[in-house]
Amino acid sequence: MPLLVVVVAIASIGIINLYSATSAYVDATQRGALADVYVTQIYWFVIGFLAATLVAAIDYRHFERLAPILYVSGLVMLALVFVLATDVRGSARWIQLGSFNFQPSEYMKPLVVLMVARHIQNDTKTEARTFLDLVLPIGIALVPTALVMLQPDLGTSLIYVTSSAAMLAMTRIRTGTVLTMTGAFAAVSLLMWNFGMKDYQRARITSFLEPEKDASGTAWHAIQSQTAIGNGGLWGEGFMQGTQNQFGFLPDQHSDFPFAVFAEEFGFLGCLVLIGLYLFLSIWSLHVASQAKDRFGAALAVGAGAILFFQAFFNMGMSMGLLPVVGVTLPLFSYGGSSLLTMLVSLGLLMSVSMRR
Amino acid sequence: MATLLQRSDVGEFRRRYRYLVLLMFLCFGACLGRLFYLQVLHGEEYDARARRNIIGERRLATTRGVIRDAYGKVLASNRPSYNLYVVPGRLNLSETFPRLAGLCKWSEVEATTLRETLSKLQKSEQHKDQQALLYVDLPRDVVAALKTFASELPGVSVMSSSVRTFPYGALGAHLLGYMREVDAETLAMHPDAAYRAGDRLGAVGVERRWESYLRGQRGFRKFIRKRAMRERMEDLEERYLGDDRLQEPAPGRDISLTLDMELVESAERAMRGQLAGAVVVVDVRTGRLLAAHSKPSFDPNVASGGHGQAAVREAFQSYYKDPMSPTLDRTISAAYPPGSTFKPFSALTALESNLISPTEQVDCRGGYEYGKRYFRCTGVHRHVNMHQALVQSCNTYFYELGSRAKIDSLADMGARFGFGVKTGIGINPEARGRMPTRAWYTRQYRGAFRGGFTLLASIGQGATTVNVLQLTLAYAALANGGTLYRPQIVRSIETADGMVVQDFPPRVRRLIEPEPAQLSLIQGAMAGVVNEKTGTAHGARIEGVDLAGKTGTAQVSPLAPRGSDQSDVAYFNRDHAWFAGYSPAGSPEIAVVVLIEHGGGGGKNAVPVAMRIVQDYQRLKEKRLKAAREGQSGQDPRAAPAAQRGGKN
Repeated sequence: MPLLVVVVAIASIGIINLYSATSAYVDATQRGALADVYVTQIYWFVIGFLAATLVAAIDYRHFERLAPILYVSGLVMLALVFVLATDVRGSARWIQLGSFNFQPSEYMKPLVVLMVARHIQNDTKTEARTFLDLVLPIGIALVPTALVMLQPDLGTSLIYVTSSAAMLAMTRIRTGTVLTMTGAFAAVSLLMWNFGMKDYQRARITSFLEPEKDASGTAWHAIQSQTAIGNGGLWGEGFMQGTQNQFGFLPDQHSDFPFAVFAEEFGFLGCLVLIGLYLFLSIWSLHVASQAKDRFGAALAVGAGAILFFQAFFNMGMSMGLLPVVGVTLPLFSYGGSSLLTMLVSLGLLMSVSMRR
Repeated sequence: MATLLQRSDVGEFRRRYRYLVLLMFLCFGACLGRLFYLQVLHGEEYDARARRNIIGERRLATTRGVIRDAYGKVLASNRPSYNLYVVPGRLNLSETFPRLAGLCKWSEVEATTLRETLSKLQKSEQHKDQQALLYVDLPRDVVAALKTFASELPGVSVMSSSVRTFPYGALGAHLLGYMREVDAETLAMHPDAAYRAGDRLGAVGVERRWESYLRGQRGFRKFIRKRAMRERMEDLEERYLGDDRLQEPAPGRDISLTLDMELVESAERAMRGQLAGAVVVVDVRTGRLLAAHSKPSFDPNVASGGHGQAAVREAFQSYYKDPMSPTLDRTISAAYPPGSTFKPFSALTALESNLISPTEQVDCRGGYEYGKRYFRCTGVHRHVNMHQALVQSCNTYFYELGSRAKIDSLADMGARFGFGVKTGIGINPEARGRMPTRAWYTRQYRGAFRGGFTLLASIGQGATTVNVLQLTLAYAALANGGTLYRPQIVRSIETADGMVVQDFPPRVRRLIEPEPAQLSLIQGAMAGVVNEKTGTAHGARIEGVDLAGKTGTAQVSPLAPRGSDQSDVAYFNRDHAWFAGYSPAGSPEIAVVVLIEHGGGGGKNAVPVAMRIVQDYQRLKEKRLKAAREGQSGQDPRAAPAAQRGGKN
């Protein structure tokens, strides 16, 4: 029950915030496009809520059986993106079905979690795991990660990796293996930096490290977002009164930077409440996991919680200049049907585990 | 659904949840910490930054005060300069730019570099929507053409700014000064927004000394940059701008100088045959500077940036390379040996301390033997008394005088007449000059003071140096009976509409109080220099010019300045030609000093210049008196400026 209350609370704040965010006057064309985004978001919330209820009603152990089918169909969808996708600002993420856009990489998040949880359920080894034992679950996470990075979408692929890592961290792993993998991760990061990343992705990180060097482009967005947050002060500028948002200084204020809009209007105290809600949800998912009756349920709860936690942290972190700007949505808060639906379904899975302890 | 799957053991996870909990607390804790930093600790700073995003401040330019001469002639004022601004993001490089280049008549090279600048700006997210200055000081016909075709040139605008202009060009440039762009140091020193980057301020001369008066105060108008959708502009302004949204600019003060520009022109004309030198004319009754001319000069219009920044750089490069240093103010900033023009002061010293009687004669046989050295005279004058010695500029007489005098009493007399001390004119760095004393020589030559130094000092050679203005004021004191004035260049300060804010009366520096009989003896001798047949200035006399004074031919230490050609050495070894005097001889009004650097003999070279200036002075005086008499009777000629001012702005 607390889970339900907190989810509805965050989503409500999110929709109210969206109303303010999209009321900003940018120019005539954008005004038309954004005018009733918050209404769409309400529709999506209702749809998502029904879907989550449905998922919660089903015993989560059925999903264990279905996991491989769902996972593979998810991979097929990701592959289809390359064929069918419409290009939005240099990266192709959306598939259009009639008048309806959806983003397979979002839906893939809980599917990866399901698949990894299934692996953990079946891997009941009691002695500490070595690298060889981990090859399979890591592979499960890395295949969609690779596909999504090709889109390219750094943020979403990071969520696959981090949520899978959080689940695997629950199992016993040899200390040596952990150290080796950390080293390997560093090496791979370096290789990625040199060969795997697009220029604009590199630019995001360099401009994060030295924002003054290039006060245009990405760093410009980051600086404006921080200015908005700082402008909020302790008490906030008041609802619909944030100048950074109202005068159009925030880029993607409804999808990537809704937190900056919120922080500007409701100040430090408002943020304290919002972060408190996210923290509660994250901890609550671990609480659910700790009470789960089997490894699958526990891993699933950890995974669902991890998706929420990492997305919330990455999004807020980039808004306030703690992390480089990667396109991650703020769960239950940002505008986006796929994102909201996915988040609610993930929480439905968590609910399902919670109801069957 | 058939049977549900087997439950497996979950105990393995138990101990590890706390690590995840810890991670969550750490991450969100970091977020809160950062938020606290941004919103609470630095909230005001970001608040100000957000305000700057939406509130623009348009600077309202003020007009710099006008500088006029004593008769209302404008010496420095302002003119509009038309500058080309471009919003890079709105300019089409392939279509609009060639059209623009054609209208502006840019050369191929110019157009290419400007095009590169623009394309660089277009790529910058921050700069592409901001107006950038592309070209300064467009010719008027180009401005007209751009206005005509404005609709075909999106993103292009022409705005006028004010540029300092000096109608007399190089004339009096050292005194007036010029304008330079404010440097980082000055900006740092005046943080309270008195100056902004790109401002110009007075660099030297009156422009610099009176900068704070001339400058005026800039105003500003704040405005909201963009429109928020739902709000009325008035409400937004009310909320974000507050009360201090407008401050009207205050124009700078006008300054009237004591200069008579017609006399300066006359000095320039008189100096035309010479390469380098200086002329100073002061009013002996007030110490007011009537004319000052330093040659060679420079054009302050170019130096002030009227023709663009590139022209300024070029001009200064040539100034610094020039061995004649055109930016050096030779009337104030350089010290020269005074030569024989110092003799009246030596004579006065001797008379005051009874070293020599005016009637005593010294036999000049072309030189003077002193110890092992032989000091030369300019000729063989035979028996001369003081009067004759001054008239004929006999060195031997003064060597004899010097052998009886103490060097300190000569220095003391010099100091009383203002030598070796800054005059306090206040503009431009002033060369102090030097009146050597025994102590100075002891310091300089490690204790070996020799009597010969006194001999040289008595004829104004050796280590003695003066600046031209010092000498003029000292001669003014000789002429007016012993009052040493502080030189005055600014007559009054006025508001833009002509109301006098501050009026500067003449200021006396010192009453020298020489014995009137002794002084008149010397004055008589100085009249003799010009009027007697044997006088050194007699040859260059112009009939009807009433002048008294003393010539001087000062030897220079043979040292050519750096950067000069080897073939110029002969020039740089020549003597400086001096004439210092006053006019009219009977009831003196002005003191005139002419220095011609490396001009040779003073009598032959400097005197004609002084003669012509005094002649022009007399002519000007008569002309003005006549004009005053023809106008309303009994009106002071000084009232003329008020009448003339109307048309000058």
